[in-house]
Amino acid sequence: MPTFSWIDYAVVAIYLAITVAIGLAIGRRVSTGADYFLAGRRLRWWLIGTSLVATDIGGTDIIGIGGAAHKYGLAVGNFEWIGCVPAMIVAAFIFIPFFWRAGVYTIPEFMERRFNVGVRSALALCWLLFMASNVGIMLFASAKMFVTTVGLEIDAGPLAGHEITICLLVTAALVGVYTLAGGLAAVVYTDVIQCVVMIGGCLMVLVLGIVEVGGVGALVDRVQEIEQARAAATAAAPAVSEHTSLILPVKTESPFPWPAILIGLGMILSPAYWIGNQAIVQRSLGARSEFEAKAAYIWGALLKNLIPLIIAVPGLIAFVRFPDLQDTDRAFPMLVATMLPIGVKGLFLAAFAAALMSSIDSYLNSAATILTNDLYRRFFRPDADGARLLFVGRMTTVALLLWAIGFGLYVSQLKGSGIYTIFQTLMAFFQGPAFAILLAGLLWRRATGPAALVGFLGGVATSIVLFTLNQGAICRWLHLKPLFQVREPYLYFSIWAFLVAAVLIIVVSLLTRPEPDEKVRGLMYRRSEATS
Amino acid sequence: MTPLHFIGDWLRDTLAMIPMGLVRVFFVALPVLLLVWVLRLPRAATTPPDVESRPTENLKLWAGLALVIQALIYALV
Repeated sequence: MPTFSWIDYAVVAIYLAITVAIGLAIGRRVSTGADYFLAGRRLRWWLIGTSLVATDIGGTDIIGIGGAAHKYGLAVGNFEWIGCVPAMIVAAFIFIPFFWRAGVYTIPEFMERRFNVGVRSALALCWLLFMASNVGIMLFASAKMFVTTVGLEIDAGPLAGHEITICLLVTAALVGVYTLAGGLAAVVYTDVIQCVVMIGGCLMVLVLGIVEVGGVGALVDRVQEIEQARAAATAAAPAVSEHTSLILPVKTESPFPWPAILIGLGMILSPAYWIGNQAIVQRSLGARSEFEAKAAYIWGALLKNLIPLIIAVPGLIAFVRFPDLQDTDRAFPMLVATMLPIGVKGLFLAAFAAALMSSIDSYLNSAATILTNDLYRRFFRPDADGARLLFVGRMTTVALLLWAIGFGLYVSQLKGSGIYTIFQTLMAFFQGPAFAILLAGLLWRRATGPAALVGFLGGVATSIVLFTLNQGAICRWLHLKPLFQVREPYLYFSIWAFLVAAVLIIVVSLLTRPEPDEKVRGLMYRRSEATS
Repeated sequence: MTPLHFIGDWLRDTLAMIPMGLVRVFFVALPVLLLVWVLRLPRAATTPPDVESRPTENLKLWAGLALVIQALIYALV
């Protein structure tokens, strides 16, 4: 069992105290809904860009990507490279300036201006459900990490065997306090500290790990040796070393065949995430100028190039050190627990807490923004003033946190799928259709409100049907083989859901009355406007 | 077998016929094409408005750097 000294605990405690203090200090300057949800539109590019990366790399990713790299290899790094950088560049120069100029709080709000209230509500509900559930998943990831890394065990008393629950509740309380107080500004400022600590901590694991296995060349050789030994045992040798390749063939065992990565991730899920994800876009809406909003995304794209090296490669190091590990979500925690010296271990725990908190606080704040603006203000109190919106925003933050705690405890009971897979599958259900209506709304004048609603709902239904038809029990009941041959085919769900949504939007738009000119004026992308 | 299974099998077999060397070209081409697009953007879209900006304040430079790194990664790994 790994041992932690008082120095490790002190490092973590100091870090947590600083984070909460900063959040509370910022909270004293928040007095309106605009301050709470958009940081008063005063944020600088480097703050937003760093916060974007910190938000995207949560505890889910450190555990999940590390685990997926152990299980499937380096191809999971695609999620941070082709799955981020190209979309961020396109978003920076085309979409983000457009949203910033529209002066909206949320993407669903923009959708109502372009289409109708039905589209806004459907999109808001999907995002809300996803974000609230995602916070629960991240809380569970954090608890799992702490219990594994610290080796926390309670042997007697009423709390015996409830270590994960305790960790989950403590994390929820800490993040809840400063997010509740400071809103988006607290989230972004603490994210910057968290990003620096997170990158530093993961870099340390990477460097120490590579030194221990004898260098990069030795790491690659050892990984390939293990793969060859496994292939010899099963007589199913792969054509390429899948653990050390970014680009995998169509008939791979992993969920990352190249068409799924290039089309599903690179062209659909990734743009949908960086252009349409409220938790991501919201911080750029809080930029002090349009140029700063663009610059934030470019800075984020540069930082993103570093991320797979510090998260996915340690998964390969864990593969070499613990090749027979069954629960691969334990790969990164095991590496930390067995490799880092006392004192440094505490720093990594702080880094992990940083990654985790930076994502939870963002999703919490964004979910509260959607609930307050797209549901409460839209349907119940359109005339609510800034103070009232601030109050409702804080109350919804508390309610969402309670939901997330419940969902996190539920996820802790699930067996089989990794944390990262649960997260990506949830996203794949609606990200493709959401991206289809966003693209149609911005780029195609003829797209109509009814078509967008039908396309979105049809796309989501497609994802759910494909997911259902790929479940083992359902296939056995229907006497069918699974539709997809790769494991966990969430990237394929997103491709088909996007295509179905796009076809429905086109067909229904052509069958319905065009939107009037005065409604779409200023809401469509024009190249000349983007560069003016 | 349903029609969906037939479509899936046909697509899978068709995509499997593309050589992996050509697939790598697709992956490298994506950031390269984006790089060309970024470099052709008008200066007004990539620099701060209303001020005399330094060359390092032109977003083309940093977006280009991020994309060149991407192209290198997919060409080499």
